[in-house]
Amino acid sequence: MEKMIYALLSANTDQKEVISLLAGRKGLSGADLYLVSTAEMAVVACDIKRDDIIANSYNAIEYASVIEMLAQHFTLLPVRFGSVMESTDAILQMLERNLDDIQQNLLKVEKKYEFGLKIFCDSEKLKADLKAKPEAMSKKAETADQEITQSIYRDWVNKKLKEHRLEEMLLTYVDSVIAEIKGHLCMLQAVSKFNKMKTSTMIIDAVFLLDMERKDALIGAVADLQNQHSSLTFVLTGPWPPYNFVDFTVK
Amino acid sequence: MSENKILFEAGSFDGISEEIGKLTSNEESRLKLTPDNADSGLAKLVLTLVELIRKLVEKQAMRRVDGGSLTDDEIERLGATLMKLEEKMEEMKKHFNLTDRDLNINLGPLGDLM
Repeated sequence: MEKMIYALLSANTDQKEVISLLAGRKGLSGADLYLVSTAEMAVVACDIKRDDIIANSYNAIEYASVIEMLAQHFTLLPVRFGSVMESTDAILQMLERNLDDIQQNLLKVEKKYEFGLKIFCDSEKLKADLKAKPEAMSKKAETADQEITQSIYRDWVNKKLKEHRLEEMLLTYVDSVIAEIKGHLCMLQAVSKFNKMKTSTMIIDAVFLLDMERKDALIGAVADLQNQHSSLTFVLTGPWPPYNFVDFTVK
Repeated sequence: MSENKILFEAGSFDGISEEIGKLTSNEESRLKLTPDNADSGLAKLVLTLVELIRKLVEKQAMRRVDGGSLTDDEIERLGATLMKLEEKMEEMKKHFNLTDRDLNINLGPLGDLM
């Protein structure tokens, strides 16, 4: 039977405590969760048949809840849903091959948690607001009107040029918000990753890695940012296991 | 996402759930190929790629126009070409009963394609 892996833990972890936490919890297949450990590392796994791995939201949430429960007590590296190895020996060999990477990543996330910040807005309304700013759009656009006039093709270019400039202004605005957030994060000594314009409504999707004791300061910083940007909706979530801060591929 | 994981939010939980639901639901953008709709399914896939390339070309062209590196004649020809491309794309979308939304694939955690 194959083994489904949930998380990687340091060998310094109190294994008795892990085992007691896992007692009574079932894996996806309904099988018991257990520890596979070496001198340097430990893995939480359960037995499973490949055919029993159904990728749906129920199973994904069940899987994540085990990682979540462990992350509340120990530093760990969460493993992607559906990660299966052929046998306990295969797990042990994988740990041996990837020991350095795993240890480096564990060190990076030690006693830290992930927090997510999503910033929503109506980007069309935001563009309209940016366009209305006197110093912003008008001068450049007027210049374009004067320089590129007559003919339907030139009118078309002119229209597209205005749209392009609005897009650029929106991106500049988003960059300025990211810079503000980074300013706050510096004080919290957080590691961060940013994605912008994922959809037309989610202009920023960020994740932060920081100590739990800085959680309240982070909430305060986000509240300040929300007050400064009333047209945006800030949503801060967490604490999460460090899903977005595990940077290695299993060899 | 459970409500107790939200540490700060200015809007309502329902509103946020709806927004996040849009990110995780890729039902509309999924390519549904069956023997009965192979033509339109393939057309959707091909037109999505064509639209992506067309938009990239258009964006790059606007950057060049904005940068002032093109002559009036070049802008005129660029406008004619891009405008005709856009019109042709509209015709094809109409022919295959596709909308702009149909051509925007949701890439899950990476967001929308366009």
